[in-house]
Amino acid sequence: MAVEERDPVSGYLTTGHEWNGIKELNTPVPRVVYFFLWATFLYSVVYWILMPAWPLGVTYTKGLLGSDQRNIVAVQLKDATAERARWSKLIETESFEAIQADKRLMTIVRQTGATLFGDNCAACHGRTAEGGSGFPTLVSQAFLWGGTPDAIAETIRVGINSPHKDTRTSQMPAFGRDGMLKREQIDDVVDYVRSLSNPAVGKAIAPAKLASGKAVFTDNCVACHGENATGNIELGAPNLRDNFSIYGGDAQSVFTTVWGGRQGHMPSWDSRLSALDRKILALYLVNLRAAGP
Amino acid sequence: MGFLGLHYRLERKTMSLAIGIIIAASIGGLIEIVPLFTIHQTVEDAPDMRVYTPLEIAGRNIYIREGCYACHSQMIRTLRDEVERYGPYSLAVESKYDHPMLWGSKRTGPDIARLGGKYSDEWHVKHLINPRDVVPESVMPPYAYLTRAKVRVDDLGLHLAALRKVGVPYTDEMIANASNDAYGQTSPDTPFAEGVTKRYGEATNVRAFDGQPGEPTEMDALVAYLQILGKLTDAAHKAKTAAAGE
Amino acid sequence: MIAQLTKSERQLALIILLALTICGLAMAIAGRQDPLGVHGAIVMLAGIAGIFGVIYVYYEPEPDEARLALYYDDPTKVAIILAMIWAVLGMFIGDWVAWQLVFPNLTFDASWSSFGRIRPAHTSAVIFGFGGNALIGTSLYVLQRTSRARLPDQISPWFVLLGYNLFCVLAATGYLMGVTQSKEYAEPEWYADLLLVIVWVVYFIIYLRTLARRKEPHIYVANWYYMAFILVVAILHTVNNLAMPVSFGHAKSYSAFSGVQDAMTQWWYGHNAVAFFLTAGFLGMMYYYLPVRAGRPIYSYRMSIISFWGITFMYMWAGSHHLHYTALPQWVQTLGMTFSVMLLVPSWASAGNALLTLNGAWYKVRDDATLRFMMVAAVFYGLTTFEGSFMAIRSVNSLSHYTDWTVGHVHAGALGWVAMITFGSIYASVPWLWKRERMYSPALVEWHFWLAVAGLFTYVFAMWNSGIIQGLMWRTYNDSGTLSYSFIETVVAMKPYYVARAIGGLLFLAGAVVGSYNIWMTIRTAGQPVDARAADLPVTQPAGVPALQPGE
Ligand code: HEC
Ligand code: HEC
Ligand code: HEC
Ligand code: HEM
Ligand code: HEM
Ligand SMILES: [Ca+2]
Ligand SMILES: [Ca+2]
Ligand SMILES: [Cu+2]
Repeated sequence: MAVEERDPVSGYLTTGHEWNGIKELNTPVPRVVYFFLWATFLYSVVYWILMPAWPLGVTYTKGLLGSDQRNIVAVQLKDATAERARWSKLIETESFEAIQADKRLMTIVRQTGATLFGDNCAACHGRTAEGGSGFPTLVSQAFLWGGTPDAIAETIRVGINSPHKDTRTSQMPAFGRDGMLKREQIDDVVDYVRSLSNPAVGKAIAPAKLASGKAVFTDNCVACHGENATGNIELGAPNLRDNFSIYGGDAQSVFTTVWGGRQGHMPSWDSRLSALDRKILALYLVNLRAAGP
Repeated sequence: MGFLGLHYRLERKTMSLAIGIIIAASIGGLIEIVPLFTIHQTVEDAPDMRVYTPLEIAGRNIYIREGCYACHSQMIRTLRDEVERYGPYSLAVESKYDHPMLWGSKRTGPDIARLGGKYSDEWHVKHLINPRDVVPESVMPPYAYLTRAKVRVDDLGLHLAALRKVGVPYTDEMIANASNDAYGQTSPDTPFAEGVTKRYGEATNVRAFDGQPGEPTEMDALVAYLQILGKLTDAAHKAKTAAAGE
Repeated sequence: MIAQLTKSERQLALIILLALTICGLAMAIAGRQDPLGVHGAIVMLAGIAGIFGVIYVYYEPEPDEARLALYYDDPTKVAIILAMIWAVLGMFIGDWVAWQLVFPNLTFDASWSSFGRIRPAHTSAVIFGFGGNALIGTSLYVLQRTSRARLPDQISPWFVLLGYNLFCVLAATGYLMGVTQSKEYAEPEWYADLLLVIVWVVYFIIYLRTLARRKEPHIYVANWYYMAFILVVAILHTVNNLAMPVSFGHAKSYSAFSGVQDAMTQWWYGHNAVAFFLTAGFLGMMYYYLPVRAGRPIYSYRMSIISFWGITFMYMWAGSHHLHYTALPQWVQTLGMTFSVMLLVPSWASAGNALLTLNGAWYKVRDDATLRFMMVAAVFYGLTTFEGSFMAIRSVNSLSHYTDWTVGHVHAGALGWVAMITFGSIYASVPWLWKRERMYSPALVEWHFWLAVAGLFTYVFAMWNSGIIQGLMWRTYNDSGTLSYSFIETVVAMKPYYVARAIGGLLFLAGAVVGSYNIWMTIRTAGQPVDARAADLPVTQPAGVPALQPGE
């Protein structure tokens, strides 16, 4: 059966086998195949000699170059840090005012801060730092813990109600759930509080109700939110007169706040971000606020 | 030619061909996999490494069930940009108790190998209920149903026992108390909570992850797992400082 | 079709189905508090449906002895139909997955439909459902013809085909319920894995028994590849799926390996699932259908040998290229990278062998869309393996890994190579199997071809773009030496490419739907039946007489 024949197209002999009509030519393997086989093998051999490659029971060949991906990246990181030292030393050591006055440094702060903020903070505070429900805006004048670069840097370092040992701690008590105030009292104080930042609300409410709300406020809230309800940065109690609110200024949200209390949680970045990164972020935020509305 | 001639003989005998294939195909795997068990340096030493709590195991199983690994890696490579973005590169020891590992092969979302402690529980809950509520640009699916489903805890002892069979050092006590510990981890003010820190260490997160103490929900379990990512051992951070100091 | 079975085969079928039903019942009871129970019910229903099917024809007359003179193609026919059903289903889900990345709320607030659950449903439906059925169907077809021997019996092929499809159903429904081991391409849980082991052993035995009875002294290349596919997948599957179930009443199991060893085992498996499922098996397919359709001899027997052993040996080392720069020790990465580079040579030798076989038949490629499917497949096989070897280089992989570039590479292989060679082979075999002169509509084959090519290019270019852009954005530094982009900015930048990919996928899916319709109509509407026996007797054909009908 193994009758070889010559293929008229290529001129090569067949192997003489046939399967269901399929035949095979006995064409020699083109030289180029062997060439590349050897070339890639040679490349591999060289690579094996230079690099960690072959296992030997309880160890492996380390390669002539002594290359190790972990050392390489460690060196790269060190070099990168050294390379950045031309400006990072200044940011680390100079005062906030001095840095803010330095256009060149502030350009770097904006560049670097934007990515740091995007990767770490934007999830809560939004990409534009304008906040969202439950997470405060960082571009307003309304700061819970103070808006100076120092205060912001400290907030970032220790967090708010975080597990960090120096954390800033704050809590809005649950006046309703814990039975400190009655339902009507809460309704009244909610109206009153809303009228503080929104005169239109004040007009729509009966003066008697407003007065009662004010009384409740004086008895229960000024301790934290202050005589004028402008907040207290010692306690992290927000200003209730401005147009910013963390949890929303509508009646339902304010009611929920007073009824159930609040305790926002801002993580500490002490062990996650370097002091330099945190300082850049504080400067970045101050800068953003200055540029913002 | 020798090789072609050898083949010419093989292709006429079914069993020889089959055995030839098996031999040719076995060599690579044997040489690459077996030494990973025999070369000690493959997995770094980390005496502080702790095992997952039962609740974290339940959360990990939900992570697997939902296919989060299809979008999130848990493997920070030894590349400058990854270390600068996500933190110290991942060590082998960090997934020593991971059966299976969840290193991932696609980053539609960011790497989460060092996620633990990065965000608050409330944020995670909000994010999982609807990612676009907190990150408007996100393409991650919503998982609101996790807050509604109670996590199954009665069989967690069996899970721990199965894990022990494949090599995770759970003690008899841990196995016996698995269900209670899962409950205790989400109920800080109950006697059950103490058992958790006693067995798994003071640093264990014991709190109502989804905001509601008591019977753990799937949300509790998943968030408990997310909050422990990268925190089972400090080895990676130590390695980083060691490398920087040389 | 069941009427083709002899009495004793019908009895054996009943016994197997009864055993299956009992297994299902046991699973349903043991797993009543667990998704395992649902799977038990599915297994039981499958068993009962089978029992009814057999009983229905149990007393029909037995088939006559004349059948033994013919090849046994009923399982192949069913496998091809199943392959097309899985193709449409799997690609539909794939496109849905793609649109979810554009409209993330396309989950309809259900748990089963979220990205992480339907993505593996897509990969399994296309690889195992579509690819696997096509491989089983064509392998049985090719095996018989190139051995000139009928399958050894009529039960084992059905056992393999239907058992395999039960595995696929368990896989796909499992993901929707959240049953998964999370190991890519090996996601099904322990009981489905066990089922596959049994099916696979029987599959290999069919191969051995048929080859043992072959009337050709030599085993044809296609069968080397099909054998490598069966054998190596068996090894890979068994090792990678070693796991400890929580209990016999739980679907959940814990992988035997952990951490770095688990990662290496998984990617040794994962890469070689590509090599032996998506490559070796389909090379077997190509080695039969391409020369037959082109009417040309294989360009070089010797090159077949080199590439076969090169692929079988070298692929198995390459898996660690999925773990570059990770916690996997660097020496393993080195081996994975170097073997991937060497692997390019046998891969291109196969692609070259296929394309050179077309010498002397290029005019047919121009006129015949079926052959053109196969030609494009060979080209994309070459492209994908080149791309793969390139991406396996550590420095390239540092950019491509974790990005859509990988997905682009996958689909260059999956759409360009796997799906194209399959469609070509199916278009070639459907008229032969159903004894039609040609496909119902050659024009629709042409339509399918162009839809597929358009979809393929749109998909792959979109992913190359998005992958490379994202990879570069992740590592771009500004002039202060700090990262330029936050992660979320890269997510935003992907949007237009995700839209393009989803549209490309839709085109490809449309092609598959057109193809299914065409195949269905070919089966239903009789053309001019050619003499069934002349073309298909398992006897030597006089040399020189074309064994098969000419193309359309
Ligand atoms: C898990 C969510 C979350 C993340 C991530 C987060 N924050 Fe906060 N942040 C908060 C919450 C909640 C508050 C308000 C706490 C409160 O209500 O008492 C806050 C408050 C702040 C404050 C104080 C605002 C004020 O009015 O005094 C600053 C400053 C701040 N965050 C900056 C940052 C920076 C910078 C980052 C990133 C490094 C960051 N935050 C990341 C949740 C977060
Ligand atoms: C123990 C101190 C304390 C007392 C007393 C207190 N608050 Fe507060 N309040 C806070 C703190 C701290 C916050 C910020 C909580 C947070 O952001 O997590 C807050 C937040 C609020 C907010 C939400 C502001 C926003 O931006 O959404 C409202 C409204 C409010 N308080 C009203 C009241 C009223 C009305 C009372 C009295 C009935 C009251 N508070 C008493 C500490 C207090
Ligand atoms: C379709 C892909 C996809 C799936 C599936 C997915 N995610 Fe995400 N995930 C993303 C994207 C994109 C982001 C970035 C945007 C954001 O923060 O939402 C993200 C962000 C996150 C983050 C914030 C990480 C950080 O450091 O900012 C967490 C935590 C997270 N996902 C957890 C999960 C969990 C848990 C699951 C499964 C239950 C899951 N993801 C499933 C795409 C996905
Ligand atoms: C010489 C041949 C090939 C080589 C060297 C190769 C190499 C690679 C590399 C380097 C990756 C990326 C790994 C990563 O970074 O995560 C990859 C992924 C992949 N390749 Fe290939 N490839 C080859 C051929 C093919 C072919 C023909 C297919 C057919 C479909 C294919 C399918 C895949 C798949 C499915 C993945 C994705 C794996 C995952 O889930 O991450 N490859 N391949
Ligand atoms: C209509 C055609 C198809 C579309 C629209 C499609 C779409 C998709 C999508 C959206 C993904 C997920 C990618 C991601 O996570 O970002 C994916 C993954 C995948 N698809 Fe497809 N697909 C199609 C056809 C196929 C075919 C025919 C095959 C195989 C034969 C295939 C094999 C795969 C594989 C292996 C993966 C996993 C890739 C990885 O993990 O890297 N696809 N597909
Ligand atoms: Ca993948
Ligand atoms: Ca499996
Ligand atoms: Cu691979």
